[in-house]
Amino acid sequence: MKSLNYKYTIITSLIIAFLFSFNLFAQEEDASNYRMRFNLKTIKQHDNSRLLEASFIGQNKKDRKDRIPVFDAEIAFYNGTDLLGIAKTSNEGIAQLIVPENQIYTTDEDGYINFIAKFEGSDGLDEEEDDIQVKDLFLELNLEEIDSVKTVLVTAFTIDSLGVKTPLEEADLIISINGMISKMILEEGTIEDGEFEFEFPTDIPGDANGDIMVYSIIEDNDDFGNLIQQKSINWGTFKTESVKDGNTLWSEAAPIWMYIVLTILLVGVWANYVYTAINLFKIKKEGQEIALAAEKELEQ
Amino acid sequence: MENNKNDKKSTNRRNFLKLGLLSSVTAVAGASLISNLAVQDEEVAESGEKMRLLTPDGKIVEVDATNVNQYPEALVTPEESREGIPNRKFVMVIDLAKCKNARKCVEGCQKAHKLDYNEEFMKVQLIQDNPEASPYWLPKPCFHCDEPPCVTVCPTGATFKREDNIVLVDNDRCIGCKFCITSCPYSARQFNWGHKEKFDDKSQPYSPETSVPAAEGTVMKCDFCPDMLRQGKLPHCATSCPMGVIYFGDKNEDIVTNGEETVRFSELIKDRGGYRHLEHLGTKPNVYYLPAVNRQFPLERGFDVEEDIIERYKDVPFVQDLKKQGKI
Amino acid sequence: MNLENRKRELAREFSPMLEKTTKTSKIWIGFLIAVILVGVYAFFVQLFKGHIVTGMRDNVVWGIYIINFIFFVCLSYSGAFISGVLHFFKTPWKNSVSRIVEIITVLSLIVGPIFILLCIGRLDRLHYLFIYPRIQSPITWDIIAIMTDLIGCFIYLYLTFIPDFAILRDHSENASKWRQKVYKYLAIGYQDTPTQREKLHKITRTMSAMVIALAIVAYSVLAWIFSLTLQPGWNSSIFAPYFIIAGLYSGISVIIIAMYLIRKYYHLEHYIRKVHFIGAGIVLLVISLLFGYFTFSEYFSRWFSHKLSDANLLNTLFTRYFWMFIFANYIGVLVPIAILFFKKLRTIKSITFAAVIAVIGLWFNRYLIVVPTLESPYLPIQDTREEFVHYTATWIEWSLSFAGVAAFILFFILIMKLVPVIPMSGIIDNEREQKKVKKSFKKIVTE
Repeated sequence: MKSLNYKYTIITSLIIAFLFSFNLFAQEEDASNYRMRFNLKTIKQHDNSRLLEASFIGQNKKDRKDRIPVFDAEIAFYNGTDLLGIAKTSNEGIAQLIVPENQIYTTDEDGYINFIAKFEGSDGLDEEEDDIQVKDLFLELNLEEIDSVKTVLVTAFTIDSLGVKTPLEEADLIISINGMISKMILEEGTIEDGEFEFEFPTDIPGDANGDIMVYSIIEDNDDFGNLIQQKSINWGTFKTESVKDGNTLWSEAAPIWMYIVLTILLVGVWANYVYTAINLFKIKKEGQEIALAAEKELEQ
Repeated sequence: MENNKNDKKSTNRRNFLKLGLLSSVTAVAGASLISNLAVQDEEVAESGEKMRLLTPDGKIVEVDATNVNQYPEALVTPEESREGIPNRKFVMVIDLAKCKNARKCVEGCQKAHKLDYNEEFMKVQLIQDNPEASPYWLPKPCFHCDEPPCVTVCPTGATFKREDNIVLVDNDRCIGCKFCITSCPYSARQFNWGHKEKFDDKSQPYSPETSVPAAEGTVMKCDFCPDMLRQGKLPHCATSCPMGVIYFGDKNEDIVTNGEETVRFSELIKDRGGYRHLEHLGTKPNVYYLPAVNRQFPLERGFDVEEDIIERYKDVPFVQDLKKQGKI
Repeated sequence: MNLENRKRELAREFSPMLEKTTKTSKIWIGFLIAVILVGVYAFFVQLFKGHIVTGMRDNVVWGIYIINFIFFVCLSYSGAFISGVLHFFKTPWKNSVSRIVEIITVLSLIVGPIFILLCIGRLDRLHYLFIYPRIQSPITWDIIAIMTDLIGCFIYLYLTFIPDFAILRDHSENASKWRQKVYKYLAIGYQDTPTQREKLHKITRTMSAMVIALAIVAYSVLAWIFSLTLQPGWNSSIFAPYFIIAGLYSGISVIIIAMYLIRKYYHLEHYIRKVHFIGAGIVLLVISLLFGYFTFSEYFSRWFSHKLSDANLLNTLFTRYFWMFIFANYIGVLVPIAILFFKKLRTIKSITFAAVIAVIGLWFNRYLIVVPTLESPYLPIQDTREEFVHYTATWIEWSLSFAGVAAFILFFILIMKLVPVIPMSGIIDNEREQKKVKKSFKKIVTE
C-alpha cells in the first residue's frame, strides 16, 4: 500500500510538472465560453460490483460540437454522505470508480440508493455535483437448451431488507452478444413480471472455440440505472479453418514446381559453365607443357 | 523495484494487445491507464498532433497528442507483424448509398498515418458505370485481396499477406522497386518519392501495423489499422466517417460494425446486394460494397469541397457536364 | 611457317587500330566522357534528393529508366542470340560481324541493368534481394537470368577472344609492356595445337548453344515482368515472343549501325563489305515483317475485342500519344520494310538509315508499352493531385539515359583498342577452310 502511494505521488507530481510545462507554450484560454457538463452514471456489472462513472466535459456555448474534456480533475463519489472513493478524469473527461459487491449502501425509506459525484471546484472552474437514485436490482441470466432449443432466460428481482425477492414489474431489456469491436444486439424486448425468454439464433459463429458471450442489459432505467449481466456459452457454429494456405504465389514459400524448374535450369546452365572452365584449364595445362618443353629445348 | 513492476505491467498489456484479445470493455477501462503511463514517459518527442484539454483550473490547453495518447505501448515489430491476429478474417463493407464525399475518412486516415494533405491511403472516386447510370462516390481503400498480385511480385517479401486477411508493407524491408504498384489493379499503393522531415521523427518506433514513420524510397498503402484492431477499435476511416459508411469486422464471427450499429456481415451482404469491385480480376478482395441505391444524399453534395479537390475529378465526363451547366 | 607469317601479317595490319589514337577519336572520347560525367552528376542529384527529381509519380511509377533497361537488355539478348546462331550454324560470313555482336552483347548487358538500379528507391537495400529472396517474383527471375546470362556471355566472349590474344601475344613485339603482359595472361598458354583448337571449338560450340537458350529464357522473363501483371496493356500472352522479335529487331539494327560506323572510321572496307550489309539487311527485313506482324496482332486483338480497359488504353494511345504511336508502329516498321524490300534500294547507306529508323521506332514502341499503360489503369485516375497524373521525363532522366548510351559507345571504343574488331583467328580459320576446299577440289579435278 505504501509503495502504491509512493507511485501515485510520482505520477501526480509528474502530471503537475507536465501541466506546467505545457502551460508555458500553450496559448492560455479560459473556460468562460464553455458550459460544463457534469454527469453521473451507474452501471451494475456482471459480478454485482458497481461502476460509478462521472463525465466532465466542457461544451462551447456557441458551437455545440466543440467539446473539451476536463483532464485530471479529482472527482469524489459519495453514497449519501459516505465517501466511496476518489478518481481522476481521463483525457476523455471520464472518472471511474468500481465499488465492490460487498459494499453496504445506505438507502432511503423506498429502498433507493443515493449516489453523488462531486468536483470541489477550483480558481477557474465552479464546483460541480450530480446525483442519481437507483434501486438495487438483481439481474440473472440463464442459458439453457430446452427441447434442444437454445434459450436465453432472464430473471430480474429486487430484494428487500428482509430478504424477500420481488420480481421486477416491467423494464426494457437488450440481449446482445460480443463482437471483436462492439456488441451486437440480437433482441430488444421487455421483462415482464421479472422474466424474459428468447430463442437464441442457431447460426452465430462465436469465437474460434465456438464460445459466445451473451449479455442481458438494462439501459438508463429510471429506477435502476444501468445493469449488465453476462455469460459465456459454447453455442457457436464456428468452424476452425485449419486449412492453411500451402505454397502459393502470395505465400512466403513458392509452389514446389517452381523450385524444381528453377533448380533444373540453373544446374543445367552452371554445369555447362563448369564444363567450359575445366576445358579451359586443360588448354592452359597443355600450353604450359608446351612452354616447358620449348624451354628445355632451348636449354639443351 | 517499483520500475520493474511497472515494466511488467506494461509488457503484460503489450502482449495482451498483441494477441488481440482485448475486449471492448477492457479497452475502455484501459484508456485511463494509457494516459497515466504516457505521462510517466520522460522521453516523449512531439508528434505535432495537438489535442485540446481543460485543466482542473479551468484553463484550456493544447497538448501534444503523444503525451496523452500513446501508440508505441503496443508496438508490434516488423517481424511480429507478419503474423496476423489469431482466428480473425477482417472484412470491410462500404455502403455507397450513404457516401457524400465528405472526405472525413480521408482526413482521419491522413491524421492517423501522418500523411500529408496530398497523400491518401483512402481515395474517393466518382464512378459512372455506364452513360445512363447515375454516378456515385466510391471510397477506395486497399482491398486486402486474398490472392494479392502485389504480394506475388514482391522480390523481397516486404509486402505480405497475413492470416487475418490483412496485406501489409514492411518499409524496413522494401527496396523500392515499385513492382507492387504496377501490379495492383486498384492503384492502391503510394510511393515516397522524396525525403520529408516527418520521416525522421522516430518518437514512435516503426511498425508495419501503423505505417508510421514512413521512409523515403519505399511503398506505403492502407493497412486496415491493425494497431487499432488489436485494441478492439475500428480503423480510423470508419470512426471518422460521420455517415457510418464504413463497416468493419471479422468475417469469422460474422459481425461488422460502423461504430453506430453492429450487424451480421452475411446478412448485410445478402440483404443489400453486396459485391466486390472488379470481381473478374480474380484477386478476391476483402472489401465489399453495398450498391448506391436509395441514396441518402444527392450526388452533388459531394462537390461541397474545396476547389482543388473538385479539380481532381475534372476528367470525369459527368463533372465536365456539370461544369458546362455552370453547376459547379 | 606460312601460318606464322600470316599471323604476323595480320597482327601488323591491325596494330595501328589498337595502338594509335587519332585526334578525332580523342575528341570523341572526351565528348563521351563529358556526357557520362553529366550523367554521374544527375545520378548523385537523384541519390541525394530521391526519386522526386524524376518525372515518375504514383501513377506512372516506371519511366524511361525501365524503357532503357528493356531496350539495352533486349539488345544484349538479341546479340547473344545472333552470335550464338552465327557460331552454332557456322554461318559463312560470320567472321566480320561476330565480334561486333559479341561486344554489343556484353556491353549492353552491363549498361542495361544500371538502368533498373536507377529505378530502385533504396539502393542501400539491394542486398535484400539475396537475403530475403522470393522466387515467385518475376524480378527475382530477372535478376537470376541477367546474372547467369552475363556470366555466360562473358565466358563465351572470352572463348572467342583466346586465339586472338594468342596471336597478339606472339606478334606484338612493338607494343607496350603492359599490353604484352595482358595478352600473355589472357591467352592462357593457347598455342593453337590441334588438341587445343579442337577443345576450344568444342566448348565454344556448346557455349554458343547455351547462350541461345539463355537468351530465349531471359527474354521471356523480361517480358513476363510486364505480361504477368493484370494491367490492361501488359497482360498479354504474346509478350514473350513479341519481346524476342522486338529485341532482335533492335539488335540487328544496332549491329548494322555499328558495322557502318566501324567500317567508316577504321577503314575496314576490305573486311566489312556490302554483302554483309545486304545479308544483315535481309535478316532485318524478315525481323521487321515479324515485328510488324506481332505489333499488329497485339493491338488488333485489343481493338477488336475492346474490353473497357483496353479501349481506354487505345483511346489514350490515339489521342495523347498519337504522333508517337504513328512514328513507333507505322513509320518505325513500314519504312525499314519499304527500304529493305526493294533490291535496288539496298545500299550500305540506305540499309543503315533503315536500321536507325528501326532503333528509334523501337525505343518509342517500348515507351508506348510502359507509360500509357500506367496512365490508364483499371480504376480511372481520380482524386490525385494534378501533377501525379501524367509522366514527362526530367533532365535527370534524360541525362542518365544519354550517359548510358555514351558509356556503351565509350566501352565499345575501348574494347576495340584491346582486341581487333575483326577476329584474326577467324580470318586464318577461313583461309584454312578455303585451302582445304581448294585442295579437295584439286584432288577431284586431278582424279
